[in-house]
Amino acid sequence: MTYPNGARSFTPDFAQLIVAMDQWSEPYWQAVGEHRLQFPRCGKCGTFRWPAGPFCYKCRSQEVEWVTAGQARIYSYTVLPVMGPDKDAPPQWRVPVVVEFDGIPDVRLVSVLVGAPLDALAIGDMLEPEWLAAENATVPGFRLAEEKA
Amino acid sequence: MTSPAAIVGVGATPYYFRGTSLPQTVYELIGKAVLMGVEDAGLGVDDVDGLTFFAYGFDTATIVEMLGMPQVTFAHVVGGYGAGMAGVLDLAAMAIETGRAKTVVCIGAGQQSANRYGQALGRLPSTPDNIFHQIAGLGGPGQAMALLTQRHMHKFGTRREAFGEIVIASRAAAFNRETAIRRKHLTMDDYMASPMLADPMCRLDFCLETDGALAFVVTSAERARDLKQKPVYISATAQVANRDWGRGFFWLGQSDEAFTSAGAAGVAERLRQTSGYDPKDIDVACIYDHFSPMVLMQLEDYGFCKKGEGGPFVQSGAIKLDGSIPINPHGGHLSEGYVTGMTHMREAVEQLRGQAVNQIAGAKRALVTGGPAPHPLTAAVLSNEP
Ligand SMILES: [Zn+2]
Repeated sequence: MTYPNGARSFTPDFAQLIVAMDQWSEPYWQAVGEHRLQFPRCGKCGTFRWPAGPFCYKCRSQEVEWVTAGQARIYSYTVLPVMGPDKDAPPQWRVPVVVEFDGIPDVRLVSVLVGAPLDALAIGDMLEPEWLAAENATVPGFRLAEEKA
Repeated sequence: MTSPAAIVGVGATPYYFRGTSLPQTVYELIGKAVLMGVEDAGLGVDDVDGLTFFAYGFDTATIVEMLGMPQVTFAHVVGGYGAGMAGVLDLAAMAIETGRAKTVVCIGAGQQSANRYGQALGRLPSTPDNIFHQIAGLGGPGQAMALLTQRHMHKFGTRREAFGEIVIASRAAAFNRETAIRRKHLTMDDYMASPMLADPMCRLDFCLETDGALAFVVTSAERARDLKQKPVYISATAQVANRDWGRGFFWLGQSDEAFTSAGAAGVAERLRQTSGYDPKDIDVACIYDHFSPMVLMQLEDYGFCKKGEGGPFVQSGAIKLDGSIPINPHGGHLSEGYVTGMTHMREAVEQLRGQAVNQIAGAKRALVTGGPAPHPLTAAVLSNEP
């Protein structure tokens, strides 16, 4: 047992976070605002690319179509202790997670896992998005799927 | 194939624990290292007509003016942060081979009092690409490396004991070294008790943060034979950027195979193609060890063991000073000091001159690797035979 009994990751406060976006990533953030996850696929050869950008790395086309993501799973994760202003207080735990999706090959979303039991996490666990408010956009976090049900 | 160029001089400041090199500036540290390097070679500053750097480098004009170099005709930088480290020798050899310069000084330095590498990513302003890392809370390279490490453990069954072996071997090598910052004996229990900083990586898996400067003087193999020191020939060099590793560990979009690697497979392959590199020919390996799991993955990438077998390989004792492939006999970045890989190059030179503190008997060939980071990634094979 690495972590205190029952310890879970916290939900970061993104109220002050300004999400930077450009013409290529804006459709992603618009869909997230509608509580949907979609990723860009080359309009010519069908290869996914991420982050959203100007060129397909396979055929160099600039055409893009957006595809709705299937089931999310943990591809990898880490657990970070986050100390508050009081250095003697126990840390909070933040869990950066790399997420993969059914139907979206070779795309990995770097995100945060909230409310997760630290000693019971495993690569491959199914996830559900958790929609969090940032200053100018909605941000997708994730939580374990079984727990939400 | 004979080597066109050789390292003929080495200069190094002391290695200072982060911030303690003040009030010297980083350019003062560089100046001291360059002066020591040319002196070690039996040359003078007036002979220097080439400078090479990596990781965005340092200001050529400042160095040329500060030390009064009469004329520099070749000044170039390899990219790739610490990944580009061994590439300074590639550029130097190229300058010598093409006649663009006769005496090249390769420079690397760090002074972390103002800019801590460990927080490098956290300092970046928000962009459409890095916003995801801000959401995740990934603030430093080690945290991103932890994600690669976690998946390596999942995929291959690699255990934390393997990373512990790497740290313990590093500390054992540093034990008798005056230059080393961490020299205390370490047990597996000590390792396991070290606090987790980025699961599965504990504090002891993270390297030191060190101030210092090093300079390496390179000239033609022919001229090297008449100089003061035993020449250390630059047998092979490679710098490679490929999409498999892409924008590197921070991007986290590597191919599935590259995700559980150090991004060095392409560099090893390039060395094989251009020089017939074979890990069996290497007597000592100076492996960039900013994070201990990255040593294990480099051992796989450079072919010292099979992919996925890095754990059992290091746990067999192979990387110890008396093992089949001694790694970092100077204690490396984990125990001696961290000047973005340049200390590894110094150790390789000392090994091949036969002057190392922990001399590997009969060492003829050394591998020096740049650090897993955004590409281009670089490596060099050095030898005391032309
Ligand atoms: Zn395409």
